[in-house]
Amino acid sequence: MDLSPRASEPSRKPRKWLPIVLLSLVGLGGIVIVTQFLTSAIDYYCNVDEIGVRSGCEESTRLRVQGTVEQGSLQKTGGKTSFVMTFNDKSINVVYAGDPGGVFQECISVVAHGRMIDGTFESNRIEVKHSNEYAEKNADRLDSSGSAACSQVQG
Amino acid sequence: MSQVLQRTSATGTRATKVIGALAILVMAWVVVSGLVLTPQDVVQGESVRIMYVHVPSAWIAYLAFIFTAVASASWLISKKHSMGFDRFAGASAEVGVMFMAITLITGSLWGRLTWGEFWQWDPRLTTTAFLFVTYVGYLAVRRLEGSVEQRARRSAVVAMLAVLEIPLVHFSVVLWRSLHQGATVLNPNGDVKMDDLMLFTLFSGVVGFTLVFVWLVLHRQRTMLLVDVANRQGLDAAIAARKIEGSVN
Repeated sequence: MDLSPRASEPSRKPRKWLPIVLLSLVGLGGIVIVTQFLTSAIDYYCNVDEIGVRSGCEESTRLRVQGTVEQGSLQKTGGKTSFVMTFNDKSINVVYAGDPGGVFQECISVVAHGRMIDGTFESNRIEVKHSNEYAEKNADRLDSSGSAACSQVQG
Repeated sequence: MSQVLQRTSATGTRATKVIGALAILVMAWVVVSGLVLTPQDVVQGESVRIMYVHVPSAWIAYLAFIFTAVASASWLISKKHSMGFDRFAGASAEVGVMFMAITLITGSLWGRLTWGEFWQWDPRLTTTAFLFVTYVGYLAVRRLEGSVEQRARRSAVVAMLAVLEIPLVHFSVVLWRSLHQGATVLNPNGDVKMDDLMLFTLFSGVVGFTLVFVWLVLHRQRTMLLVDVANRQGLDAAIAARKIEGSVN
């Protein structure tokens, strides 16, 4: 039986690199998120009535514009969707190349990404901005059209 | 302390079994009500059913991170520095990160169905992602090398700073213009505009997720206790072995 003392081992333990690498990656991720946040997130959009009025909402720049799709204005022709977007009694014509799909409809708030060109807002992205109200879908009322349909969407 | 391992064959108790059974019952009700009994939303249609998972998971994540901060403060303030506080803080944060991940995933799916996008860098989404990353960082801090006391002190400081992000996340839709809708239940006006059964199912989800959270945290903090005890036993055994070697020489 070998009873001789064990050979002395180095006193320093190998450093655990995994947590350090993970922490560095987390820090890097945080920086990326904050950078994106500062450049993109604060005040996500301009309202329709602020175009050309509010700082950061200049007509010459690419904008995200928020407003409500006006009732009776929605038209889909030749693969394009056009509608009037309104906010605070100000309106703009919007043309979107394609069908927004999803829950896009009249009387709903949307955020359109694009540019003002010759008085028309040419959009290449439409995001539906739904409200914080939730109500039961009523099949009878949905089948109706005009003001009844719009009032149901608006609650 | 070493007897803890010997007398513990599982992390469950009668209380955790009761909590677990209640969690199963409530969650079963939430599944049935959320998928079958509740109506479609007038605008969102069937996609509104994601709300019964998305909103409770977000609230429970907030709750978990607040518990982590309170337990961390308790560890720092208490004279005995009971490691139970530290283990509870760690367990709560781990479960909270899981619920936050569920929030982000379900929110992303819901966003695709309503906004038309999985993700946008809007204030609510960005601050939520930042909160998630912060608590992943907290968990990484807990795994840095050092004694259990060092682990507790470092992570307690991080937890007490990180919890300050929660008000920023919650009020981001008020402070800035956001694509994300404002609060329905916890809105400043207190005027909840939601169908009655939808609201009841939502609250059922909160109760069910809370029971799941409590069940998971109790089991996890006991698992952490066993790990700490096992590590301590390993250290004691190593010291005893060196002493024997010393006496032989």
